[in-house]
Amino acid sequence: MLTCDDYLTPTTLAAAFDAIERNAGRHRLIAGGTDLLSWAREGRAGDVHVPVLIDVTRIPELCERRVGAERVRFGAATPIARFLDDRALAAAVPSMAFSADWFACGQIREQATVGGNLVNASPAGDAIPPLLAQSAEVELAARVDGEIRLRRLPLSDFLVSSGRTRLGENEILTAIECDALPGRGAAYEKVGHRRSLVISVVCLAVVVELDASRRRFADVRLALGGVGPVARRLHAVEDFLKGGPIDRERLEAAAEMPLDFVQSRSRRAYRREVVRGFVVRGLVNALKRADVADGVVEPELEAVYA
Amino acid sequence: MPDLQITATVNGREVTRAVKPWHRLLDFLREDLGLTGTKEGCGAGECGTCSVFVDGVLIKSCLMPVAKAQGTRIDTVEALGRRQFTAVQKAFKKAGASQCGFCIPGMVMAATAALRDSPRADREEIRERLGGNICRCTGYQKIVDAIELARDVLLGLKPESVFDEETTADGHYTGRNVGRIDAPSKVTGALKYAGDMVMPGMLHAQVLRSPHAHARILSIDTSAAKAMPGVEAVVTCDDVPGVDNYGVFVSDQPVLARGKVRFVGDAVAAVAAVDLVTARRALAAIRVDYEPLPAVFSAEEARRPGAPVVHDYAPNNVTKHIPVRVGDVEKGFAESDLIVERVYETQPVEHAYLEPEAGLAYVDPDDVVTIWSPSQNITHHRHMLARILARPINKVRMIMSPVGGGFGGKEDMIYQGILALLAIETKQPVRLVFTREESMAVSAKRHPSRTRLKMGVTRDGLIRAVEYEMVCDGGAYGLSTEGVMRKAAILGAGPYRVPNLKLDTWGIYTNNTPSGAFRSFGGLQAQFATESHLDVVAEMLGLDPFEIRRINAMRVGTATHTKQELKSASLLEVLEAAAKASGWDTGAPTSRGAVRGDLFGPGNRVPLAPGSRVDLRMPAEAGEVK
Repeated sequence: MLTCDDYLTPTTLAAAFDAIERNAGRHRLIAGGTDLLSWAREGRAGDVHVPVLIDVTRIPELCERRVGAERVRFGAATPIARFLDDRALAAAVPSMAFSADWFACGQIREQATVGGNLVNASPAGDAIPPLLAQSAEVELAARVDGEIRLRRLPLSDFLVSSGRTRLGENEILTAIECDALPGRGAAYEKVGHRRSLVISVVCLAVVVELDASRRRFADVRLALGGVGPVARRLHAVEDFLKGGPIDRERLEAAAEMPLDFVQSRSRRAYRREVVRGFVVRGLVNALKRADVADGVVEPELEAVYA
Repeated sequence: MPDLQITATVNGREVTRAVKPWHRLLDFLREDLGLTGTKEGCGAGECGTCSVFVDGVLIKSCLMPVAKAQGTRIDTVEALGRRQFTAVQKAFKKAGASQCGFCIPGMVMAATAALRDSPRADREEIRERLGGNICRCTGYQKIVDAIELARDVLLGLKPESVFDEETTADGHYTGRNVGRIDAPSKVTGALKYAGDMVMPGMLHAQVLRSPHAHARILSIDTSAAKAMPGVEAVVTCDDVPGVDNYGVFVSDQPVLARGKVRFVGDAVAAVAAVDLVTARRALAAIRVDYEPLPAVFSAEEARRPGAPVVHDYAPNNVTKHIPVRVGDVEKGFAESDLIVERVYETQPVEHAYLEPEAGLAYVDPDDVVTIWSPSQNITHHRHMLARILARPINKVRMIMSPVGGGFGGKEDMIYQGILALLAIETKQPVRLVFTREESMAVSAKRHPSRTRLKMGVTRDGLIRAVEYEMVCDGGAYGLSTEGVMRKAAILGAGPYRVPNLKLDTWGIYTNNTPSGAFRSFGGLQAQFATESHLDVVAEMLGLDPFEIRRINAMRVGTATHTKQELKSASLLEVLEAAAKASGWDTGAPTSRGAVRGDLFGPGNRVPLAPGSRVDLRMPAEAGEVK
């Protein structure tokens, strides 16, 4: 059980830093709380006492959402559900929309935040592969000598290992920016023990853009999670796919490429098989959503994989 | 610790309370406002028994710090159908969707949210929208049926009259859809389970459990815990006034560990304190010195000579052995054309009822120790407890609270004795509610089994002999193991005529979590082996699996393996109905070839994203104005 002496809900960034400075070393930030509360239980952290919990979800900078032509910006406290029901956001970050559909359950999607999912840095965090695929950067705020300073890091640099990030002790993850990719075909493939409330055993985010012929990739992005300490972009696979036509042989060849990334402690052989299938399936699903030309995806390929 | 001042509009009324800053919205509703229709099934956001609306959005109140509820509008199950049931509540009642009822308030809330957000949701979408809510009784069919029924009435596709009960005015009930009499209390959240009950001056209990699978207890020091402000009592086995040795079939269990612990989770000491946090902090202040002992973790190891002994009274670790002998198996095997031997294993299974174990105990003014709990065996528990407490039977009272799912898992008395000791010690009401983790760690499981089965048959499929040995891991205490072994022995060779039978079932002590009663009580493990084996034998003989069962079926007049003459036998009718209902394709299991050709073909895959909600059209394209 999680206990505290004080639970603070600052409504400005400055007030949040006041609270952090006043309680330095005795505090912990809390956003949606869905990871923190379930962590402080028997079998995991057990009973945990944090003297001061500082809730960051009522700070305006962490709640804003701006969809631009090139980049999208959303506050770290944005609930996962907004990637489904805020149509402008969903259209611009399509890989997150498909991931959100598989995220926990409808209720937890309303409570859990995107920033919390990144800071928690689970190897299987469902917000991570889609945001890697959309080339996300995180914005971190700190107050130094009374002045709030922002720094930015690519999400891929922010994530260090399972449960570890480059977030400084007195820093706040304020916002995430990523490429705006409206109109692209996207997919999120996930497998766990059931449809809802499961940790991904393997998850894969895919975003594709076709050239004018609708028969070749103009852009293709893949990010794989759940199979090692940190989710990762599959740049080599992307480059390989961009270099040639879209056909079964090349998709299946691409699916062979990331198998060695499977470093999980358990069920490696199974995960390798899933990764192989997911790469093809994710590409097929994303291609269909990108309105690929008729006949490019053979019906048999679709039947076997998607 | 400054309290938080929380003001919120709960079920239409503004309330203000000073609450502990760490409280969750669930604690605020249940403890501060007494709204116990919202349940706590897991405390970790997995089960959905705590689902409520906050500002119109369904959330899990066990994962929401109460501070987040400041200034919000909260609606709980108690807000629904105050004067008249809502369509969803009526539909749950009509469809028989409420069984144990513990998940039902949350389910009703989730169903209400699903139909509010998506009034035309189809079955798949309904299933996805209820993905955050778990039910253990129904298999979900009735629940989804109910929501579809409510949807159709709300859309005007069906009349309100579909919610009406079928008439039983003619006195006939069989085959009729009769409403459960307890359904109204379940769909409204009004029903009080043990963990929902409160009494004035009530204390909260917590149990210190063993971290070792097998260890000698050298000493227990409770002085620091007893000295903590707010702690009213700390009890150990030394506080048991009577005979501290009980069990359903064999008396081998103390209320709190005596001398040694036998599994991880064995109860060692218990605390009653003014609140839960104080009780938990007191547990941390109890010092126990253990001397770890060699432990044994499988029935196979435990049967070996020289294995660690779990109970001194059973030096060979045998809890119960049930032998059955019919005819002469060697003669039967000699008469057989084919002898097939295989090993079948089953795993432990957790009951996972949505209601974790809970109880409330007090000593009434006439000195009657009274315990409310969802016990599935109150009379037996009462007798055991009278002996443990050294009281006449009329000074012990067990009251069965509504059972929020049992499935056999609440047959064993694993905490009622602890509650009684604390109530006697403090002379105050004491409540104990297990956490989900505690329930999983210490409640009995289905017996894991390993069965070696050797069967001799003639060429035309007639069973001539069966040699059957099932070894079950009974865990650290006897609990219902003896009964489970008896049932497994009676049913082990199946409803088949076996002229020569040598059958043995063994329940074995180990240092694993105790095994106990679970639906079918040993029949499942036994029949898994026998029925699987018949399929194997049918395949080897080139027989249809139904046919080999028909050939050997017990009929009227057959004596069972334990010499009960059958006056009725319906196996042949059951087989016929099963073959028909399953669209059985008659033939030997090999008749389709080594590989099933109907899998993985085009059009044969179920889409893997049921109820997907992704819609990437912009508002204008989707024909909506945002």
